[in-house]
Amino acid sequence: MKTKKVTVLNESGLHARPASVLVKTASRFKSEFYIKMYGYKVNGKSILGVMTLAAEAGAEMELIVDGPDEDEALEKLVKLFENKFNPAPP
Amino acid sequence: MKEQQPKILSGKPAAPGIGVGNAFILRDDNKPVHPEKISDQEIEENIRKFENACEFLVQEYEKIKTIPDDYDVVEIIDAQIQALNDPEVMSTIKRKIKEENFSADYAIFSTFNDYIQLLESAGAQWAKDRTIDVVSIRDELIQATKEKKKEFDVKKGEIVFAEDIPPTVMVKLSRIKISGIVMERGGLTSHAVILSQSLGIPCVINAHWDRFQLQDGNDVIIDGSTGQVILRPSWKQKQEYLKRREEQFSRFQKALEWARKPNKTSCGSEFTLRANVEFLEELPRLKTHGARGVGLLRTETILFESNEFDVWDQVEFYSNMVEAVEGHTVTIRLFDAGGDKLLENSETEANPFLGWRGVRMLLDKKEFLKKQLEAIYRVSGKFTGKVRILIPMVSSMEEIHEVKRHCIDVCNSLSRQHVPVDSETPIGIMVEVPSIALMAEHVAKHVDFFSLGTNDLTQYTLAVDRGNEKISHLFDSYHPSIWKLIKMSKDAADKEGIPVAICGEMASKPEAAACLLGLGINDLSMNTGSIPVVKSVLCSNTLDEMKKLADRVLHADELEHIHELLEEWRPA
Repeated sequence: MKTKKVTVLNESGLHARPASVLVKTASRFKSEFYIKMYGYKVNGKSILGVMTLAAEAGAEMELIVDGPDEDEALEKLVKLFENKFNPAPP
Repeated sequence: MKEQQPKILSGKPAAPGIGVGNAFILRDDNKPVHPEKISDQEIEENIRKFENACEFLVQEYEKIKTIPDDYDVVEIIDAQIQALNDPEVMSTIKRKIKEENFSADYAIFSTFNDYIQLLESAGAQWAKDRTIDVVSIRDELIQATKEKKKEFDVKKGEIVFAEDIPPTVMVKLSRIKISGIVMERGGLTSHAVILSQSLGIPCVINAHWDRFQLQDGNDVIIDGSTGQVILRPSWKQKQEYLKRREEQFSRFQKALEWARKPNKTSCGSEFTLRANVEFLEELPRLKTHGARGVGLLRTETILFESNEFDVWDQVEFYSNMVEAVEGHTVTIRLFDAGGDKLLENSETEANPFLGWRGVRMLLDKKEFLKKQLEAIYRVSGKFTGKVRILIPMVSSMEEIHEVKRHCIDVCNSLSRQHVPVDSETPIGIMVEVPSIALMAEHVAKHVDFFSLGTNDLTQYTLAVDRGNEKISHLFDSYHPSIWKLIKMSKDAADKEGIPVAICGEMASKPEAAACLLGLGINDLSMNTGSIPVVKSVLCSNTLDEMKKLADRVLHADELEHIHELLEEWRPA
């Protein structure tokens, strides 16, 4: 199991579009993925779960990844937060 | 039986265009879902029903995804599919069926409701906005478990009346090529509205009718540009609207081809066309229609919707706007409530249009003004030179000085907190009250630009309430006095070297736009849909011809004569 603390950097928060990108990315990996925020824990592969976090800009959360491809998954997910959920340049 | 008279419903314009057809009332016959327990033997059947419903709905969404060639629509549908594939939701529903012996429809209903509640209570507005979509997935899933699909017998060309329309129904309706949609509910940002805009179906929302006024099959006219819906129109009304629809359609087809061409008259003189905008959702169209930035950003809605004047909500909204217009400017009109746009809880006034609105209200409610200015200046620091401030409903010099004082205060206070601001952010005024147009010469010395609001300028100059149907024939922006006031404002601005733009409906009329260009006003802002047609006319004539037109219009002393002059410029 790997964990990492991240901060939502994009100004409008983790709204519908970034949430969708996050879930899509997470779903490509075999590992389980959870997000912990202010005592809540949601399945990071669940779009409705992630949306209900309604995380705003500056929100801090812990990403928890557990499974065979956890290293790669965590790296990709952290990158998404760092790039403010913009698609990676080709 | 008594013959029913024509009846006009006034709603909110949501998607432009004219539709003429028969009414089809889409009745919502979903029964309420009750917590129903099932026996152990029925579990398997209920699981199967639920899985089939999911599969069916995903397929439906995939199918409709291929129809509109529009990124927004695809994104909306993708989001719905993603929710239908949500592992957490799916397993919760199955668990409720298997372990708690709930029927499939109640398991779906209660599971989604938990999320809906959380989203509704979320602090962020976007999360609240999403609840409509989640509700529609919930209801469509429940509908699909009933295994008898709701078939519409909506026919081509009909105008659909409904309380609200979920996205899947919406796309099915568009396949039938309906002529219009009238909804009781629905926000301008709801999927049904975004879809109808991108699918080109005229749409009016927030229209209310009682059950006795309207029957299936009634003749109906819908004007999605004005928000008017005419039930049982007279023959004459119908002919008039049919003609207008024809004109609009052929004009628009031709005009879209112009959108990509450079903004130059046929003799090479440049002009700028911008969009009047209220919602982020309108922005994708700016590019396809050839708009260069936002000439008028209305801010009332965001402020009405959020109930409170949150600085950060505004910062986000304005930033998104500036980012979306890709290097062009956004002119933000300060909160212009009052008149026909009332704040909740405000007292009704005898003459609201002559009352407490625009800058008058802002200077009374300084906390509104200060928060809005703070938001704008914060954005200005991030996008230097890209935002402009527009003060509405100014009628005296004192008001200008006072707002400017607040601008300086806000700027200074932000600078003290080391927040970057663009203290050179242009501050302009709406010229929409005759008093200001008459003293434009003085005013021009103290502001950075003029933006002419021709609708209000017309109603105030002509003493015609534009909402009053009895005298609506008197409301005419082509009145000689209006041209004179425009010319005065332009001359005054030229003297001080400040720019003038038009953001009233006038700019969206090609013949008036040509005349305005002839007057030397080459910055026109209008609803996005009008840009191509206006552009086609401006591009295919010379500035000289337009100057001649303007000259003749300025010398005309009768309204009818002006109409004759302009008529020749109206595109066929």
